[in-house]
Amino acid sequence: MEVTNKQDKLAILFENRAGKKLGVWITLAVSALSVILMLPFANWIKIVNGYNLVTKLKVSTDQVALLKGGYPVYSMLSFVQHASAGIMGLFSMIMLMLAIATAYFQIAYLVKGLANIRGKKGELSLYGAAEAAMVFNILLTILTMVFAAFSNNKVGVKGFVPTAVVYVVLVISLLGYAVVKKLQAVERALYHEHGLWKELKKNWVLFLMLVPTFIYFLINNYLPMVGVYYAFTQFNFRDGLWASPFIGFKNFEYLVSADLFRLTRNTVLYNVVFICLGNLLQIIFAIFVSQVTVKWFKKTSQTLMFMPYFVSFVILKVIVYNLFEYDYGVINTFVTALGGERIDFYNTPSYWPFLITFFHIWKGIGYGMVVYLATIMGIDAELYDAAKVDGANVFQQIRFITLPQLKPTFIILLLYALGGIMKGQFELFYQMVGNNGLLFNVTDILDTYVYRIAMTQPLSIGLGTAAGLYQSVFGFILIMVTNWVVKRRNDEYALF
Amino acid sequence: MKIKKGPSTIIFNIIAYTLLALGAIVCVIPFLMILSGSFTDNHTILTQGYSLLPRDITVSAYKTIFKAPQDILHAYKMTIFYTGLGTFLGLMMITLTAYVISRKEFKYRNNISFLIYFTSIFGGGTIPWYLMYSSVLGLKGSTIAIWFPALMSPFLVILMRTFIVGSVPDAITESAKIDGAGHVTIFLRIVMPVLGPGLATIGLFLALGYWNDWYRSSMFSTDSSTWELQFYLYDLLNASTAIKQMSQNSGMATVELPTQSVKLAMAVVATGPVLAFYPFVQKYFVSGITVGAVKG
Repeated sequence: MEVTNKQDKLAILFENRAGKKLGVWITLAVSALSVILMLPFANWIKIVNGYNLVTKLKVSTDQVALLKGGYPVYSMLSFVQHASAGIMGLFSMIMLMLAIATAYFQIAYLVKGLANIRGKKGELSLYGAAEAAMVFNILLTILTMVFAAFSNNKVGVKGFVPTAVVYVVLVISLLGYAVVKKLQAVERALYHEHGLWKELKKNWVLFLMLVPTFIYFLINNYLPMVGVYYAFTQFNFRDGLWASPFIGFKNFEYLVSADLFRLTRNTVLYNVVFICLGNLLQIIFAIFVSQVTVKWFKKTSQTLMFMPYFVSFVILKVIVYNLFEYDYGVINTFVTALGGERIDFYNTPSYWPFLITFFHIWKGIGYGMVVYLATIMGIDAELYDAAKVDGANVFQQIRFITLPQLKPTFIILLLYALGGIMKGQFELFYQMVGNNGLLFNVTDILDTYVYRIAMTQPLSIGLGTAAGLYQSVFGFILIMVTNWVVKRRNDEYALF
Repeated sequence: MKIKKGPSTIIFNIIAYTLLALGAIVCVIPFLMILSGSFTDNHTILTQGYSLLPRDITVSAYKTIFKAPQDILHAYKMTIFYTGLGTFLGLMMITLTAYVISRKEFKYRNNISFLIYFTSIFGGGTIPWYLMYSSVLGLKGSTIAIWFPALMSPFLVILMRTFIVGSVPDAITESAKIDGAGHVTIFLRIVMPVLGPGLATIGLFLALGYWNDWYRSSMFSTDSSTWELQFYLYDLLNASTAIKQMSQNSGMATVELPTQSVKLAMAVVATGPVLAFYPFVQKYFVSGITVGAVKG
């Protein structure tokens, strides 16, 4: 607070009006107004000089009819699509996502503010929400202006102009931001909190330690997320990755009509079987190991069953191939030695669901056993002693002590596995089946489908990205729902 | 306390010992099969098929491999390079990150943890990831694209944080701070010395991942000079299958190159180190899985 005079003028922000500080009311009003201005009636971008623009973009006549004089903030993509202006697609896609995020933050702030939610640190979390809302508003408006400038520059015609709506939202959001900062400063002093800059000054060593990690996750995980844009394009080599025509949801429509059902069915069904059968066997064997008293036997059997976990899936391929090969595979050698007919595994799809399931369990049983053994070892030994004194036999002990104690672990593992039900075991499937198209009907999962496109069909990368995005989004929704369910039942077990 | 074994205990023991023995055998037989096949004469395999115990024992397959070992030695060398570098860098980055997000006084530790964790529940998918490295960064054919993508994983970071929280009590770091120690000092002098088991566990998880990887070679290698060992083996298997199919389709005599037993010998050579080390380091994996399981 630099000047007392100024502070006095601003003190009005802290006055209570109808149960809230005036400053909060102001920012709430800003949020509400910007949400209203994001509704479809308010155009954010005006198309001027339409004729020149259309000729420059070489829009076909039937598409011209679809073009409008102005566009709300989240529908610029429709312009891009009708004008087949690929290069602007990514930009407007980012705008769309930002617009959705902005709307979300406004509404979140409105709900928080009107519902009078107070966190542990007074109104700090409310101000945090307000700050986020204002910052996103400012970002969105500035980006809208940049979008207009970028597009004009790309097309070479001054065809796009941000409307007054953009400036209004920008100005009121800047105002709201200033108000929030003022409120926040007082509240922070109250709770001995500080903002990013002060934290940066205080703990710069910690930030420095995170730099490599930051770079890693940015390159490996966050920047590729921008690439989901390819899912909405029809890739061609002439226009390249970023300028290929934007085609909206066509890739998804094609996927639905072609392979999506089969891929989803395979992915989900295999996972369900893996989860049920895998967990069941892991529990059974973990109980066996925990009950065995001969030390060397316990150790050896556990070591041997853990062994498959350590070999690569290429070795699994060697094993599977040598077992099931037609001419000299082990199985067929046995079968012919017993006077039977050779079995043509590699040309008969019906065997493979069983084989794949078997080898998945084979490879994972040691790992799962360790998880359950850890829980069994954590069970209070007194429970068993008491049961023995009461005359319970070993089956009863397992039924009434071990299994109930394993239940939480089991449920948690089960729920997390359900969250990952859209994720296929790519290496398992690819190494066991490879490019054997005969078996695809029962062995093709989303991951193998996407991999094949990435490796062999560069022209279909839009389709492959669409399949990957579908998988990611559904997987994400599943995890969120699962976590929500876990959280409601037992907060301790929630992931986040 | 000695309690007499009732009949149910005996029945249970019979079931448990039998099934455990059976399970162990099922898990280990495929490896014996590979091992025995690699010592079997190729002609015997072709005429009589594979068997579990080697017949006509010979080391000719291994001799064939080591007659012209440049390729496999190069793949070995590359894999050791990837494993060494990746494990070292990854371990360093994971430990530093885990240290930072375990600091209670760090305001943004929960935000950072969430950003790291988030990558395991949502991603752009394989193709954007692949294009990021191959087109945007132009790393196709480079060794960087092979070791860089596997340096860290959310699971390992969170596991390491659990190790740090479990082995360094807050009181110790607090008193060190009062004595004027900075974060670098605390990290190097207090955390690192007691983090041995954690480092061993995470390091082994990383090393195993690198040793067994073939996927990144299949995506990013443009020629065999950057191949990982497992991909070298994979290519060998595929190439010989393709040769066999071609010669069958064209009705020509089967080109036996490389032979079945050579392929198996190659598999043994590629997996040998892992299985030889495994019994000694198993306990670290068990501790890692246990710690991870407890925290979820």
